Amino acid sequence: MTEERDPKVSARYAELPREEPPREVDAAILARAHRAVGERPAPLVSPAGRRRWYFPLAAAAVIVLSAVVTLRMEREQPEADGVALRRDKPAPAAKPEAKTVAEPVPKAVEPERRSAQPPPAPAPAKPAEKAVAAARDAAGPALGAATAKIEPAPAAPPAQVQARGEAKPFPGAGTAASAPQARALARSAQVREEASAEMAAKRDVAETPEKWLERIAELRRKGEHEEADKQLAEFRKRHPGYRIPEAMLERVERR
Amino acid sequence: MLQYREGAGAAFDRLYARHKGPLFRFVLRGIRDPAQAEELYQDIWLRVVEARERYAPQARFTTWLYTIAHNRMVDHWRRRGLSIVSLDAEENPALDPPASPAEDPLRKLQSKERIERFMRALEALPPAQREAFLLREEADMSVAQIAAVTAANEEAAKSRLRYALAKLKEAVGDD
Repeated sequence: MTEERDPKVSARYAELPREEPPREVDAAILARAHRAVGERPAPLVSPAGRRRWYFPLAAAAVIVLSAVVTLRMEREQPEADGVALRRDKPAPAAKPEAKTVAEPVPKAVEPERRSAQPPPAPAPAKPAEKAVAAARDAAGPALGAATAKIEPAPAAPPAQVQARGEAKPFPGAGTAASAPQARALARSAQVREEASAEMAAKRDVAETPEKWLERIAELRRKGEHEEADKQLAEFRKRHPGYRIPEAMLERVERR
Repeated sequence: MLQYREGAGAAFDRLYARHKGPLFRFVLRGIRDPAQAEELYQDIWLRVVEARERYAPQARFTTWLYTIAHNRMVDHWRRRGLSIVSLDAEENPALDPPASPAEDPLRKLQSKERIERFMRALEALPPAQREAFLLREEADMSVAQIAAVTAANEEAAKSRLRYALAKLKEAVGDD
């Protein structure tokens, strides 16, 4: 076989330039070869050209979409709570409704209540308040805070009890016609108290003690003593440690 | 090639890297037209890709690859009006323009002259002899393999190779 090979000729041939294919030709051939292999695993899917992108693209789109939906749902959950809170809030919106229910009834019953018997709730509260005020006056301002703790607690519940108990004497005492009225009255009183307690609670959150006292003083000035007493009692319940300044005390307490 | 047939694209990369230079030079020096050589070279590899399912390891991959290349070159020569028989004949002077005499005086470097002379001698070989020589030098093939690739008997292959070497030896001279 050696006679078919000449070392001199081979050496001279080796001196010739070593040409290589252009890079773009390399790239085209390799791309084609890889594409051809890529066709094999998925014969049902159209293998060539842009369609090869469809499935990865679709998969990516599904992933992104589901991630967005998940995130959105997570963000909306606190909002759902917010909706629940807002649903709670309509209680104030329902309040006018309660008032509309409550107010006409007292109007209708008012003359009867006024004529039949004096409102029992303020009655026990008044002496208590007076006694406390007198004691406070006697002991000085230092005791004010301590007494404030004691006095509102008994003052409010009796009002409720009285308001509820108020209905009971009616059936026993009165006519068949007055019984529903008494029940309505009791219900309205209860509703009003609940509403005012709720209002007070909300006010408590929003208002500063000074503002609250100012409002009580305003009620007192307008002659709405009943409401002022109630508010003052509520105030003392909410702020047991708060020392009402002497000047303010004169304005908020019934004289 | 078997790995590539089974779907391993990286196996093709390795195969291509190993054979691209020799095959490209085989085609380029076989037909001497760079543009057509590139086209033909690309076509050969695409046929390899397309024929991967039919590949059977009965022969070396090199033999299979150069058989495809030979067939494509024969097609090329046919399109140029040359029959397979004429491939053994001396080159058509029209296809093998001699070096311009005006160029020689310009050659300053002796080595460059030698290379050019050799190149011209190579280009002047009949296509079949040149192909046999290129298969020997570029693909490092034996006479038997050359015969297999060119679909000739071993005697014919041997004879082509011998004639080619004799002419090229003349070009090398006593340098």
